[in-house]
Amino acid sequence: MSLEIDKAVCDQCGTCISVCPLDALELTTELRVDVAKCIVCRNCVKVCPVGALRT
Amino acid sequence: MENSFDIAVVGGGPAGSMSALNACRDGVSVCLIERKTEFGIPVRCGEGIGKKGLMRYIEPRQEWIKATVKRSVMVSPSGIKVQLANVEESFILDREKMDADLVKMAEKAGTRIFSGTTVLSVKQNTDKTYTMVTTDVSITAKIVIIADGVESKIARCLGWNTKLDLKDLETSAFARVVSPFIDKESCVFYTGSAVAPGGYAWVFPRGNGEANVGLAISGDHSNPGFARKLLDKFIEKEFPAARVYNYHCGGVPVGKWLKPLSNDGVMIVGDAARQVNALSGGGISFSLFAGKLAGSVASKALNNGNVNYAALDEYERTWKKKFGKQQERSYKLKEFLAKNGSDAFLNRIAQSLSKENPEKINYLRVFLKTFAKHPVLLYKAFLLFR
Repeated sequence: MSLEIDKAVCDQCGTCISVCPLDALELTTELRVDVAKCIVCRNCVKVCPVGALRT
Repeated sequence: MENSFDIAVVGGGPAGSMSALNACRDGVSVCLIERKTEFGIPVRCGEGIGKKGLMRYIEPRQEWIKATVKRSVMVSPSGIKVQLANVEESFILDREKMDADLVKMAEKAGTRIFSGTTVLSVKQNTDKTYTMVTTDVSITAKIVIIADGVESKIARCLGWNTKLDLKDLETSAFARVVSPFIDKESCVFYTGSAVAPGGYAWVFPRGNGEANVGLAISGDHSNPGFARKLLDKFIEKEFPAARVYNYHCGGVPVGKWLKPLSNDGVMIVGDAARQVNALSGGGISFSLFAGKLAGSVASKALNNGNVNYAALDEYERTWKKKFGKQQERSYKLKEFLAKNGSDAFLNRIAQSLSKENPEKINYLRVFLKTFAKHPVLLYKAFLLFR
């Protein structure tokens, strides 16, 4: 199970990053997840206002 | 070195641009690094601000203000409307223009702008300066002012714990709505667990039959895409058949402000520092104040030849003196409401206030009336502390 980002839905607001306990998300020109750091706690999935993240 | 500055500001929102603008003095070299290529786009904000809160820190240009609104209306979960006639006037801003202009003002004052540039990492060098690796160039500075917004990544790189508890995050969705049902004279706030659990919905008229409509819910009540679903439901109910455009979303940090706000050669301002009214989610005026203050403390420290914690701590001391109590109070109120702010509780307060003549509802009266019965004064509290 790993984190997936729906890039068509993501609005690049950065809300997910603020609740990530391990700094596994990065926003440059698009949102990316570092799967090596991600522990799939699903904080980001839960708070995403538009539902762009899923596991 | 080519990309070496006295001060590097990370983030081009109001906190960042005010920092840069106020740091540009006495020959101090300043740069501002912004991830996006255009400043102020998209707007991630309800764009409402108390008139005094804005004017205290900056003389707004006319084109920044879409509307001036005199009244506020609070709508309880059961639909009881409480009109507050004698509250402070609010401005509904054009943040797109304001943010872009503030950056232009900073640039005109001497700030070098790096836009479309993301800071990927930052580290302190042996000579105490900081070097930032970005998607473009490497940038070195004696002082870094961190203004990277709700995500607050840069402070995290430097050892602060900026991770928010779910209860200390409001996740929000908003849009522009064109509808004949918009009340042009009032800022309207809707509460209730069906509308926005652990938060509220807002309707801020911005002229031409248009309003900023949005809602924020507590992170611990959220589920994937919930904020946007609730927004669609809210708009359909309150503004049937409206034209809706410019959907965006964002997070509002409603935790306590980061401590410390500075360290050797580093300062944190605005949403990145969680300088937000935890109850209302309002943060523009805090950002303007913090940026102005941090920028001038930083340039003064450079001129005195010392940028360590002792020199920069004046920023937090002044911040705390000015807003410390207010911030703690709004955080406590937020926590109280998270526990006790049931729909029944909110309806009860609205019920007792709705019997009042709106012209006579002022802060003091509401305070006296409801404070006697209830441990907190809810409806006015949004506006009291901004």
